[in-house]
Amino acid sequence: MRLIPSAALLAAFSLVAGLAQAQTVLSVTTDGNAETVAAMEALTAAYTAAHPDVTFEIENRPGGADGDNLVKTRLATGEAGDILQYNSGSLFQALKPVENLADLSDIAGQANVIDSFKSVVTASDGTVRGVPFGPAMGGGIYYNKKIDAELGLSVPKTWAEFMANNEKIKAAGKVAVAQTYGDTWSSQLFVLADYYNVQAQVPNFAADYAANKAKYANTPAAMAGFQHLEDVFKAGYLNEDFGVAKFDDGVRMVATGEAAHYPMLTFALGNIKQNFPENLEDVGFMAQPGDDAAKNGLTVWMPAALYIPAASENQEAAKDFLSFVASVEGCNLMIGANGATGPYLIKDCALPADVPGAVADMLPYFQTEGLTAPALEFLSPIKGPALEQFTVEVGSGIRPAAEAAGLYDQDVEKQAKQLGLPNW
Amino acid sequence: MTPRQRNTGLIATAVATVIFITPFLYIFFMAMKTKKEAALFLFSWPSEWHFWANLTEVIQARNYMLLLAYFNSTVITVGAVTMLIIFGAMVGYVLQRRQSGWNRVIYGLVLAGLIVPPAVVPTIWVLQGLGLFKTIHGMVLIQVAYGLAFSVLLYRSFIGTIPRDLDEAARIDGATPWQIFFRVILPLLKPVTVTLIVVQSIAIFNDFTNPLYYLPGKDNVTVQLTLFNFQTQFQSQFNLLFMNILLVTIPPLLVFIFFNRQIVAGMTAGGVKG
Repeated sequence: MRLIPSAALLAAFSLVAGLAQAQTVLSVTTDGNAETVAAMEALTAAYTAAHPDVTFEIENRPGGADGDNLVKTRLATGEAGDILQYNSGSLFQALKPVENLADLSDIAGQANVIDSFKSVVTASDGTVRGVPFGPAMGGGIYYNKKIDAELGLSVPKTWAEFMANNEKIKAAGKVAVAQTYGDTWSSQLFVLADYYNVQAQVPNFAADYAANKAKYANTPAAMAGFQHLEDVFKAGYLNEDFGVAKFDDGVRMVATGEAAHYPMLTFALGNIKQNFPENLEDVGFMAQPGDDAAKNGLTVWMPAALYIPAASENQEAAKDFLSFVASVEGCNLMIGANGATGPYLIKDCALPADVPGAVADMLPYFQTEGLTAPALEFLSPIKGPALEQFTVEVGSGIRPAAEAAGLYDQDVEKQAKQLGLPNW
Repeated sequence: MTPRQRNTGLIATAVATVIFITPFLYIFFMAMKTKKEAALFLFSWPSEWHFWANLTEVIQARNYMLLLAYFNSTVITVGAVTMLIIFGAMVGYVLQRRQSGWNRVIYGLVLAGLIVPPAVVPTIWVLQGLGLFKTIHGMVLIQVAYGLAFSVLLYRSFIGTIPRDLDEAARIDGATPWQIFFRVILPLLKPVTVTLIVVQSIAIFNDFTNPLYYLPGKDNVTVQLTLFNFQTQFQSQFNLLFMNILLVTIPPLLVFIFFNRQIVAGMTAGGVKG
């Protein structure tokens, strides 16, 4: 009599133990953006439904400088979990990917990833270390369609046309260009989003720049971005409070028609969708115009990527999940969670037809080969840390464009030496 | 009270009210607004009151993360402050009462603990080696290590004002050293203890960077980390963020109101003597 319950208990216990053994828990660290969280929850839920033995623990980390330090600290101490979401491009290179991240070159999902993305998550030894997570973003200028319609303006293809439009908007008593130097990072857009135009004129700029052969100060095409900042300030096109306004103010101004233009990345659409849903269709998006109307194209910011820290103990399970993220099914799940705010870098992953107007404005650039170029920070490992200070200075008329470009070249030199690049 | 004294007092009160109450009112109003209205950042009366909706949304966010965070933060704060008081008072007592050649060295090390900034990565290595990383008690020990120098300093100088005769009288009455410390000295340290409770518990409860680095993990979240549920680099929900700030501010505020009189007494009693 006494044997039976204990035998049953033993059987039950071994069953539980067996289950526990088969269960894999993958710990995931992502930033706390609402869109990131929604996409990750959709992906993990679908994956667990298909593979009941794998579950996920999602942890959110802060963004910005705190987040950078945190990720580096965790990688250095081997505590970064199994899957890590982080920026691609020059920030990815700063993680020392060869030492800290697992090689993902030969996981099945890589076959679906577009080559231009692979190049921004390739470590210095030529291996691919990440898969794309989220849509690509365009850097350009938002415009308010109502103001355009009211004043009979058309979308400019050259910088001269853009300035002529601004003159008309100013004459009509409206703010032509919103700038928000209260968030200093937002001041860099005119310089960074001008890169398509730079490479259209100087195709080798990124390579020469990394090799210390080309400089902003002695390349007129590259200096144009700084010049644009100075021009819009001197012409008096800016909002009165440009020095203190924040990113949220800029988004509000262009969405509600307080300002006609706002240079920004396409992720700002999420903000418009949240705070000004009724104005979503009033906003259009254009690439930053250059000198030549025939060479009008878009500067693109690559999405963040998912990586597997080298110290992870569940490499196989994590790799299988990342293959799933890079599949068309994974891509559709992300679109389902967030709607389409930009193209996903997965082959055969089509966007739904009913995208917001600003996204529809951006898509044609992606559909023709050669109308997009990645921003410089994805092509060259160097981006000077003080660029935003210089762009604020130029954009507020404190320093002339040429001088700032020269100072930025010096700023970059420090970083290139830190990275130990040849020829510096 | 002369009219002049009265007027100065009234003006001082008015200025203090403006300086201290205005930020609270701003947080309160922001916490009541809709997302759209909060994104305007105006110091204005909310056009619609969303107190209940915002409150429930903040509490329910990320599977009731805030409640877990309250629990964790409370455990860390209470645990760390208790240890800080007991050990700080003990070290201060011995340092003050027993004069020996080592005192200067020990005092120098205590000061070094106040001056030398802690490095994150080596600390994590130590914690990993001891098996304390990612645990609540590991976090408690970190807070004790960071706060101990300050409390030893405060206790040592205050114990200097307690006459030695009290120790000796207790000794003659037959008290053991433990009894002397716990039954005679520690009760006399109440003003400093209250000061320490307030200063350290607010500092530990409000600490952001240390839990961020030393206490990773989904279940180890503390209250300050919950703010990042609503604030990200590109898109923030400011009404919920301010509601969260409001909720997080309440416990330290209660501590302050509760201990207000003792704090002032403690500051004036313990802080001046060197």
